Amino acid sequence: MKVLLVGDGSREHAIAEALARSVKEPRIYALMHLINPGIARVCERSGGGYRRGSPIDPIQVADYAEELSVDFVFIGPEEPLFHGVADEVERRGIGCIGAHKAVAEIEMSKAYMRRLMWKYEIPGRLRFKSFRSIEDAVAYISEYAESLAIKPARQAGGKGVKVIADMQAYLSREKREVKTKHAERVVKEHMKDYTDIEDKILLEEKVEGPEYTLQCFSDGETVLSMPLVQDNKHAYEDDLGPETGGMGSICGKGLTLPFITMEEYSRSVEIVKRMVEAVQKETGELYRGVVAGQMMLTDKWGPTIIEMYSRFGQPEGENVLPLIETDMVEICEAILERKLSRIKLEFREKASVVKCIAPLGYPERRDLARGHPIAADEEAIARRGGKLFWSSTDMVDGVLITGGSRACEIYAEADSIEEASEIAERCIPYVKLLDGWRLFHRSDIGAPRSLEKRRMLADLVREIYQYRERRGILGRTIDWIPGRGKIEL
Amino acid sequence: MSGILGIYAFDELWSVSRFLYYGLMGLQHRGQEYSSITTWRDGEIYTKASEGLVEERFTESSIGKLKGYVGCGCVSTSRGLGRPITVSKSEVTLTLYASGGLIDTKFHELAEFLADEVRRSDIEQAGLTVLEKFRGGYSFICITSDGRMIAARDPLGVKPLCVGGLGFDLAVLASESSALDVIGADLSRDIEPGEVFAIEKFDIRRGAANCKRRAYCSFEYVYYARPDSIINGIHVYDVRRRIGLILSEMDPVEADVVIGVPETAIPFAMAYSQATGIPVEIGFYRTGRSMRTAIRPTEIERLIGVQLKLNPIRAAVRGKRVVLIDDSVVRGTTLRNTVYLLRKRGAKDVHVRIGSPAIRARCPYGTAVPPEDELIGRALTPEEIAEVIGADSFSYLPVNKLIEAIGLPGDSLCLGCFTGMYPDIEVV
Repeated sequence: MKVLLVGDGSREHAIAEALARSVKEPRIYALMHLINPGIARVCERSGGGYRRGSPIDPIQVADYAEELSVDFVFIGPEEPLFHGVADEVERRGIGCIGAHKAVAEIEMSKAYMRRLMWKYEIPGRLRFKSFRSIEDAVAYISEYAESLAIKPARQAGGKGVKVIADMQAYLSREKREVKTKHAERVVKEHMKDYTDIEDKILLEEKVEGPEYTLQCFSDGETVLSMPLVQDNKHAYEDDLGPETGGMGSICGKGLTLPFITMEEYSRSVEIVKRMVEAVQKETGELYRGVVAGQMMLTDKWGPTIIEMYSRFGQPEGENVLPLIETDMVEICEAILERKLSRIKLEFREKASVVKCIAPLGYPERRDLARGHPIAADEEAIARRGGKLFWSSTDMVDGVLITGGSRACEIYAEADSIEEASEIAERCIPYVKLLDGWRLFHRSDIGAPRSLEKRRMLADLVREIYQYRERRGILGRTIDWIPGRGKIEL
Repeated sequence: MSGILGIYAFDELWSVSRFLYYGLMGLQHRGQEYSSITTWRDGEIYTKASEGLVEERFTESSIGKLKGYVGCGCVSTSRGLGRPITVSKSEVTLTLYASGGLIDTKFHELAEFLADEVRRSDIEQAGLTVLEKFRGGYSFICITSDGRMIAARDPLGVKPLCVGGLGFDLAVLASESSALDVIGADLSRDIEPGEVFAIEKFDIRRGAANCKRRAYCSFEYVYYARPDSIINGIHVYDVRRRIGLILSEMDPVEADVVIGVPETAIPFAMAYSQATGIPVEIGFYRTGRSMRTAIRPTEIERLIGVQLKLNPIRAAVRGKRVVLIDDSVVRGTTLRNTVYLLRKRGAKDVHVRIGSPAIRARCPYGTAVPPEDELIGRALTPEEIAEVIGADSFSYLPVNKLIEAIGLPGDSLCLGCFTGMYPDIEVV
């Protein structure tokens, strides 16, 4: 059996390992943009191979799959989905784990996703406005002093999102200035390379609460949910610093996190299922692959959608993939045959922690973070109970160098998140840059103080949304305007 | 006494001067005589230092002129700490604000030493070397000429310092969490005793100095800090309520009304009232702005302050037996004035309760305590004090009860002003 994996990040490294664990012993091939040594190794050991290429080019991917005559293709990242790689692969008669372009729109266009939620009245929706021109967005921002999330209307590699709480009237002027300048930056920088979408900017009401990611498999009929994972977006410890693609994540033990109830878990699953149903109805296409809700427990709704993913999260995927007990190839085959309902998706009863290691410069100046030779003592890491996933790295003339984003991740599992975090910490020193440039990571991820803080935030938010639910105003925004009377937004 | 504040924006779009302005207003209770702000942008330093309150001295135009996404500032009772300390050592220029006091030396020396260290080593190592060399009770925040921010707290942890953030945009360091609340930032935690917290363009660096013991200033809980602040993980308001509770259990008296001397002693009085069932009343009304009278620099200013601040409300006190609660007694002059005012407005009995032990000794950590021969608690017994101030009875909170009210182990507190024993100084 042969499988072609598309993508080169830590997520794909974890997918490759999960596939390699299958009793069907598939030969794994990979198409990568940068050469990830972890994926390369899995491919070689499985009797497969890899090739450098463009994972977002449907023709290249489909040609490679045909050439190898693989049994199916597994697409890791979102961009190939947005570029129609899954559509092309299937057009050639090869099975593909990965959403078609039309349904991946729930991730690609944040405006589309919100419209869908309102049209189908799916719980956990937020008020939003999308703009096609910077002038309209700025005019809106100047008129209303509101707490806002300003986002590129398209998924732009997780970049360009700014969330500004505008609660103090006395600081509103500074905030309005930053909102305006940021909106301009979104259009000029983050959206400049994308021509596949008409909306440019999305303004969303700002909500607060603990975030979590719910990842699921979907075959178009059945949605099977995985354990919740929480990512940590701040670059530095104590939840300080700029937003990153995620500096590490925690999971377990069991289906939910220590600060999310099982009822909230069930509601979250229901929301993701309804999203899948809605996008299928809207497009007439089946959703086959991985779908995830990047969610937040808010005082407005309880479980609330912040964004949708049409794939595993990164690093969130790396928390759950090593814990999957069910045969990964069987899961993939069931998705392709629309028999996912027959699969009993099982996970080992462990908590897991992923800690990302990034070169200094990330996330703001990737040019500074790029090009540093890096090495890891993977045996020492294994001896201390951890595991390394390679991420943004490249092999150039036999030397492994950093790619500018998070270079690698340490994965550890234990009976509790706190213990797993400690194991990961013991492994961190075994990753080094060889040219004296510095690496950084967050030691607080999964630490008791950090968990306690999230638990307190969740309790606070839960009190409020439960009050709203008792009052029958869950998810509603009711206001009274002098002269106009009571209105609902 | 001073309050210090530092703000670092990770995104250069921000202008932090107005955040500093409002944040310092949230620290103004720590010093009302001097105010100063320094900002940094692309190698340029912008500074304004002035006598008086932040709110009065900083105008729209001065806020506009303080450009930059990195900045710090202070409020202070002292001229020396109320202005930025700026030093240059070859290519390194430092602008530093400090709170507290050093043993046998001045903050200018510390700043020069730090500038030298910054030039030769990693930023957190530079901070650690300073903490190991300079003894005292202090915290400081400084900006280097290349836009890095270094903050540190002395190894004893005498002076408070905390850190928090505003979304993905700002990191905020402040003497008290009240400054963070005012600008909408979330408190992350206290900076630990002996911790260096340094912010660079692409990293936050931390260092931990060797700490033999802790000596958190107990007077922060009694008087200095705002009741809405959290210091060393302890809610100041909770401590003040516990003090009132303990006072209510000691030396019980028959009374008709409990009155707290505004504003610090009001939580004491409320807890006292709830425990005893004696109603609490607003006994005084203030003329003019909120003022921290105990830390005014001169006797006459303190007296003016008290007289303006404390106009007794006749209807609340006339013909009543009053329990009057104050936070502390230094010379006793303002308290005598207060008791006299109450009697003049018709109070029948006046029982004075103090929410802290007798102040007997100086503070080597930067709090201006008068010479020891001016301290009434050192010279007279409670009975004698009652006579002098004209009260029917007078009592303090004992030291062990203060420790109990704070809720931290006694050996992790500095109680020097009450005991004359300091954590790192031999008593002669």
